Amino acid sequence: MYGEIGNKLVQHAKRTQSLAHLPPYQTELVRAVTREVRDLDKDVATILEPFAGSFDPSTEPATACALLVNHLCMRRDKRCLLAYHRTRTDKLEEMCWSGIDVLERQQQLSQKGGGDGAGAQMGTDGAGSSLSPEEEEYVRQYSDLLASYKGQWTDIDLTGSLEPPKDLFIDVRVLKDAGEIQTEYGAITLTKNSQFFVRQGDVERLIQQGYLQRLS
Amino acid sequence: MDIDDILAEVDVDATPRETRDLQELTRAWVAERVAPEMMAWPGGLMERVLGRVGRQIELVEDQTGNMDPKTNFRLIVVQTEVERFKFLVRSFLRARLRKIDTHPLHILAKHTESDASHPLLSPAEYQYLTSHQALLAAHYGASFLSQFPNNLQRMDDTTGGISMVDKPDEDAAVLVRVLRDVGEVAVEGTDKKLDMKRGDVWVVRWSAVRGWVGSGDLEII
Repeated sequence: MYGEIGNKLVQHAKRTQSLAHLPPYQTELVRAVTREVRDLDKDVATILEPFAGSFDPSTEPATACALLVNHLCMRRDKRCLLAYHRTRTDKLEEMCWSGIDVLERQQQLSQKGGGDGAGAQMGTDGAGSSLSPEEEEYVRQYSDLLASYKGQWTDIDLTGSLEPPKDLFIDVRVLKDAGEIQTEYGAITLTKNSQFFVRQGDVERLIQQGYLQRLS
Repeated sequence: MDIDDILAEVDVDATPRETRDLQELTRAWVAERVAPEMMAWPGGLMERVLGRVGRQIELVEDQTGNMDPKTNFRLIVVQTEVERFKFLVRSFLRARLRKIDTHPLHILAKHTESDASHPLLSPAEYQYLTSHQALLAAHYGASFLSQFPNNLQRMDDTTGGISMVDKPDEDAAVLVRVLRDVGEVAVEGTDKKLDMKRGDVWVVRWSAVRGWVGSGDLEII
C-alpha cells in the first residue's frame, strides 16, 4: 500500500535503462498499482462521504492529512506507471530507429521458447513475449509513423549513421552471406569472409543489420 | 561606423549564396544541438539545401558510367560533399526530433504561441509530434490510465503545485560568440551586466541571450 509497488516498477524501469534487451512486461505489478489507485480513490470517497461536499480542512486537520496522503499516493502511483511505460516505449522507439524489427524478434523468441521446454522456463513466461499486447500495437504504429516521417526526407535517409562521414569509400568484411547488391560500379556478390572496398552509402544498411563489418 | 563594420558588410555580400547557406546550416546545426530550447524551423534554408542535394544526386546519377578519369574524380568530390550535407541535415533533424520527444507538450504549446510566418516546427514535425503524442496517450490509456479515476486521467495536470508538463532547463549555460555588437546584456536574477562586443566569446545562461541568438547577433559554439 501507499506507493510501495509503484517503487518496484520504477526500479524495474531503472534496470531496463541499462539493459540491451527489453525485460518482460510486469503485468502483475502494473495491475496491482492500478488497483491501489482505485482503492485509494474509493477511500477518499468514503472519507469525504459524511461531509456531503462541505469539507473544511482547518476544522478537521486529521482527516485533511489522511486525504492529502491518499491524494499524493495516487499521484505518485500515476507517475511511477507513466515512468515505467515511458522508459519501455523509449526503448522500443530506439529499436525502431536503429532498424531492429522488434516484433519479428519477439516472434523468433517465442518460437524458440516453444521449441525446447528449458528455454521457455528461462527468461520468457507463458506468453513467450516480453511485450504487452498494447506495446506490440504501439511498436507497429510507431514504425508506421516513423516511416511516414522518414518518407518526406527521401534524399537524406534519417536513420543513417550519426557519425560524420570521413571517407566516401570504406573497407568492409562480410560476416554473413548477404547476396548480391547493386552499386554504380556494377553488382557485387557478398559472400561470407570476403572483403570489399565499397561506397559507404551503398552498404550503410547492411552494416547496421550486422551483415558487414567495417574495417578501420 | 568603424572599419570592422565595413568589413563585415563587404564579407556578407561577397560570399555566394551557397557558401552562406552552408554556414547557416552549420550554425543552425550547432545551435540546435547545444541550445536547451527548440529553435525556429529554418524553412527557406532547408528548402534551398534539400533542393541542391537533390540536384547534386541527379548530377551524380547522370554522370555515372562516364569512364573519363577527370569527371570520375569530380564525381567523387561531389559525392563526398553530398554525403557531408546529408550528414548535417540528418543530424540536425534528429537533434530536433530528440527535443520534440523529450518535451512534447511544452514544445507544442510554444509552437501554438509562435508566429505563423516563423513557426517553431515544420509541418512534418508538427504532424510527427501530434501523432506521436496521440499514440502514447492511446498506449497509456490502454495499459492503465483508462482504469484510473476520472480526475487523474489527464496528462497535462498542473494542480498540486507540480506541472506534469516537463520543461527544458532554460538557465543552462551555453558558449556564444558575438557576431555583431549587442551592447549591455543583463542576466536576470543577478546584478551582472555584460558588455558584448563583436568577436567576444562568453559563457552565459541561455535564457539571457536567446533573443540575440535567434536574431543572429550571437552564434552558439
